[in-house]
Amino acid sequence: MTTVTMAETPVEEIAPARPGPRYSLFALTLAIIVGLVLGYLGGLLTPFVTKPGDDSPEAGFARDMTTHHAQAVEMGLIAYRNSDNPAVRQIAIDIATNQQGEIGMMQSWLRRWKLDPTGSQPPMAWMPNGAAMVRDGLMPGMATPEEMEQLRRARGREGDILFAELMIKHHIGGIHMVDAILMRTNDEEVIEAATRMKNTQRTEVNILRQLLQDLKESAKDN
Amino acid sequence: MSVSTPGGTQRPSSDESTAKRGAAGAKPAAGKAPGTRSGAGQTSGRRPAGKGPGSKGKGRKPVTPVKVSQGPAWGPIALFTAVGMLAVGIIGYGAYAVIEGTKSWQERAAEIPGIINVRETDPKHLEYERHLPGKIEYTKYIPPVGGVHNNAWQNCMGDVYDAPIANEHAVHSLEHGAVWITYRPDLPKDQVEKLAERVRGKEKMMMSPYEGLDAPISLQAWGYQLKVDHADDKRIDDFIKALRVNASIEGPNALCANGVTETGTTPRDDAAGHAELVNP
Repeated sequence: MTTVTMAETPVEEIAPARPGPRYSLFALTLAIIVGLVLGYLGGLLTPFVTKPGDDSPEAGFARDMTTHHAQAVEMGLIAYRNSDNPAVRQIAIDIATNQQGEIGMMQSWLRRWKLDPTGSQPPMAWMPNGAAMVRDGLMPGMATPEEMEQLRRARGREGDILFAELMIKHHIGGIHMVDAILMRTNDEEVIEAATRMKNTQRTEVNILRQLLQDLKESAKDN
Repeated sequence: MSVSTPGGTQRPSSDESTAKRGAAGAKPAAGKAPGTRSGAGQTSGRRPAGKGPGSKGKGRKPVTPVKVSQGPAWGPIALFTAVGMLAVGIIGYGAYAVIEGTKSWQERAAEIPGIINVRETDPKHLEYERHLPGKIEYTKYIPPVGGVHNNAWQNCMGDVYDAPIANEHAVHSLEHGAVWITYRPDLPKDQVEKLAERVRGKEKMMMSPYEGLDAPISLQAWGYQLKVDHADDKRIDDFIKALRVNASIEGPNALCANGVTETGTTPRDDAAGHAELVNP
């Protein structure tokens, strides 16, 4: 502000005497200075302006997928602890460790973007009609507290089948969210990670479907 | 470049000083310089060969005189004012955004009216050597906000407990970054529901009724506490936004899953099935 007011006065003084040249030199100097200052400040501010904001799809995805993943980790750890089927335990621990790692990655995005792990918007608000998909605070594919309690208590083949069913549903919901962010972001790191999540979860859905079929067939045999 | 314009009336001294000050980019200099020059203009001291620093500007001089007539040049003044104000606006907004955007969660927590920050007022209270099994007396802050605790944590995966839970496990959940909402058992149902909506389905959140609270609602994070009278209080959301996960001692990867899911105020650390998995 001060620059502007100070600049006005001299211009008025000069004008009658030698308007043209004085004004021109002064204008050029000022323009260069202002240009340099603006350019410098612009450079300083660019990372803050271009990074995803608090209500951006990227931030919403990082937060909501963290929540979504956290439940998959919980299901995986429960199955790993309770199951005695090696194939179930194998995929359970694979899902748990992989998704926990991805939670760490998404949380460090948020930290780098200087955003909180908690958003100001309701879950899924970054997706069109996303908030409508949330039931009792649960995003697509997430198990209810009752289902989680069932999973904790179930043992043997019954527990294995429940785990496979819940995780298939969970992954399909997760892939839905991944598709939504892939349509909305230009952030290369987010695109790369989301694509990787999609591929991994698709493969795991196939493995779990096969596993589920085997489990149900062996149940019939007995 | 070295050609002086017809009215090229710069005295070397003023020319130099202008250039130097201009180059330094100091604002006061920019204001002062033209004044000096206006004096110089009247004393027509000719100087053909441009003294290095000042000559750069002279090259373009012939262009402008045509446009500017006698009297104040309102057009350029208006232009400068407009551009200047725009620049100030952009810079101002940028600076505001940067300052707001880089405010730490600690600063934002400190701005919540009524919040208690035990990390600052009573840091010793939060220190402990190792996990302790069994019953632990928490008397200083009710509900507890940190300090020694059991091996097992209370499950804090958006769990809405309908009965009181053990402090010994809940404090461990706080250490892992959970925000624990507690309410007096006589809190009206509709308010309990409003609190539950902030918890359900969200990891690093849990809530439970709490006997003997001195406020209808109390929120806890590791080292922080906030007591409020009503579930509509906006500070509840500010507390959660600033402190959920951020207040974790062990970072965002600390688990809330695979903890104690049973209610009851008796700690279950020695109960079979829990201690084996947690904190290996």
